Amino acid sequence: MGSISLNGINKSFGATEVLKDINLDIKDGEFLILIGPSGCGKSTLMNLIAGLEDLTGGEIVIDGKDVSDESPKDRDIAMVFQSYALYPTMNVARNICFGLEMSKMPKDEQEKILQKVSKLLQIDHLLDRKPGQLSGGQRQRVAMGRALARSPKVFLFDEPLSNLDAKLRVEMRTEIKKLHQRIGTTIVYVTHDQIEAMTLADRIAVLKDGELQQVGTPYEIYNDPVSHFVADFMGSPGMNFIECVVKDENLVVQSGGETYELAIPCKDAIKNSKLDVVMLGIRPEMLTEIEPSADKKNSYLHQIKFDVEVIEPMGADTVAIGQWNETEVMARLSPEAGNTAGKGFDLQVDTSKAILFDPNSGLRIR
Amino acid sequence: MNKFNISNINLGRAFIYFILFLFAFIYLAPLYVMFSTSLKDIEEIRSGNLMALPLDPTLYAWKKAWATACTGSECKGLAPYFWNSVRIVFPAVIISTILGAFNGYALAKWKFKGSEFLFGALLFGCFIPFQVILLPMAKLLGSLGLANTVTGLVLVHVIYGIAFTTLFFRNYYVGIPTELVKAAKLDGASFLKIFRHIFIPLSTPIFVVTIIWQFTQIWNDFLFGVVYSGSGTQPITVALNNLVNTSVGGKEYNVDMAAAIIAALPTLIVYVIAGKYFVRGLTAGAVKG
Ligand SMILES: Nc1ncnc2c1ncn2[C@@H]1O[C@H](COP(=O)(O)OP(=O)(O)O)[C@@H](O)[C@H]1O
Ligand SMILES: [Mg+2]
Repeated sequence: MGSISLNGINKSFGATEVLKDINLDIKDGEFLILIGPSGCGKSTLMNLIAGLEDLTGGEIVIDGKDVSDESPKDRDIAMVFQSYALYPTMNVARNICFGLEMSKMPKDEQEKILQKVSKLLQIDHLLDRKPGQLSGGQRQRVAMGRALARSPKVFLFDEPLSNLDAKLRVEMRTEIKKLHQRIGTTIVYVTHDQIEAMTLADRIAVLKDGELQQVGTPYEIYNDPVSHFVADFMGSPGMNFIECVVKDENLVVQSGGETYELAIPCKDAIKNSKLDVVMLGIRPEMLTEIEPSADKKNSYLHQIKFDVEVIEPMGADTVAIGQWNETEVMARLSPEAGNTAGKGFDLQVDTSKAILFDPNSGLRIR
Repeated sequence: MNKFNISNINLGRAFIYFILFLFAFIYLAPLYVMFSTSLKDIEEIRSGNLMALPLDPTLYAWKKAWATACTGSECKGLAPYFWNSVRIVFPAVIISTILGAFNGYALAKWKFKGSEFLFGALLFGCFIPFQVILLPMAKLLGSLGLANTVTGLVLVHVIYGIAFTTLFFRNYYVGIPTELVKAAKLDGASFLKIFRHIFIPLSTPIFVVTIIWQFTQIWNDFLFGVVYSGSGTQPITVALNNLVNTSVGGKEYNVDMAAAIIAALPTLIVYVIAGKYFVRGLTAGAVKG
């Protein structure tokens, strides 16, 4: 019903190459998140899929049919814009029905769809209002209603929640997820918010400077990133990166005025890379207070001294900031442990999920 | 302390108002002189004070200016020429405004190769002085068989106006988010449907601005009128000139004044009715969705 294949997509504006050889297969019914820093070409890719921009190279296949040269209205795609792009002079009802009106659907059928969609999105009491009389969250719903009304093959969402305040954003995020589970239509969703990406996605595609860095499930992207860039992008607070000297296949770490040699799982990788210095990547949640129940014989569990310089309570847990090898490092403690943390704090470090990068290229060492 | 400040502010206010009233007076005095003179008879004008109110107001001068004053060899007043102007102005304003709206929409939201250059070239049209195009345009009108006709004058004003109307609409439409066009395209709307359903309803302020601008320009035009009109198709500005320059007997200042007011009245009325939209339209920003 709504599979998309992007085959070797290129896009240039004049001399600037914005997208470089994008290859991506999106399955029917999939919720694909496109994530990347601002200006990396996310919106451009969405516009290309929708047919609002012309391809410079490559082809777009929807449901097995090459649509590269088709106009937007023939692609059966609906899009929700960051700015909502509601028609300012039309009321909510007409905004939602405009697409149906253009396809010359009879009035009574339009009315049925309007009722269904507006109930689903809980905007049935707003139908007579103009967009200017709505709150941000209501506009967001109307924009989604307009997309839903046409029941297209594919939904494109371009940063739909970025104009909402934090609380509303979380609510709408959940609603979008429910909506997808209910209607099962393919969604391509752009965001630069990694929490949105993690919570919504079936798969995440990470884009940087117009190139796909990695495509995978949220678990893969979070735990098995291909590069420093991807690892850095996902997670809040973000992953710690520390350059360490290699000594006997262990990593040398100075912390709390002492020097430690930490064992890590990827010993072969270090050997094969022949590097003297590697970049250790370790998530803050792997740095905790000492857990009494921890397995003392586990060779990837280390106990080290840590000079906590700054404490940032976040409610559920507390981030403690100190230094390893003169690089800032964040640990994630329980609020109770965080309260008393200071100089010489006993830190438990779990390196079983630690990963390594080449400090020069930023790529993973495996 | 407080009180001192307040009275200080009041003094400042009073000064500002004084200046404003002074300039308003200086600015409006000629209009007053014109109006009061047009209501006096010729005896009173000769003997009386320029600034004095008319002792015995009469509509004689107005009637004469409208219906019987001599404009050259004809003595039918301004009336026929007033209607000439109406017949020139209305089509010219409507056509040039509609064309400008289309052009502006296309140039702002449907960029094509060379569209920026085209816009630049059009803009250049705003800076071409009337005098430069007089001769070539006369030749063109002649070869089209439109010399000395109302249609010919309409054509000249439309062509000359398009540069301005396009500029107005293009700059207004640039402020309307392009995402509206994208959304409408995905909704299956065509170039014309998007224009009609989305852009036209947003355009009231700029339509008002453009219409006022074009109306004033064309109604007040003298040069094109005097060059391209025949004896039966002269606009009111040309007739006013002829009226003032034709003196049968002594100079009738009251008739001249009344005629001048009649000639200026339509633009005045347009400003009074739509002036506040004019100011609003010129300052209208982007439309929030
Ligand atoms: N119409 C355009 N003309 C020229 N450059 C453009 C155009 N649209 C986008 N770009 C450029 O392409 C790059 C990617 O833009 P965009 O896709 O909007 O990024 P994102 O949505 O990821 O923030 C940016 O550097 C932007 O300046
Ligand atoms: Mg974008």
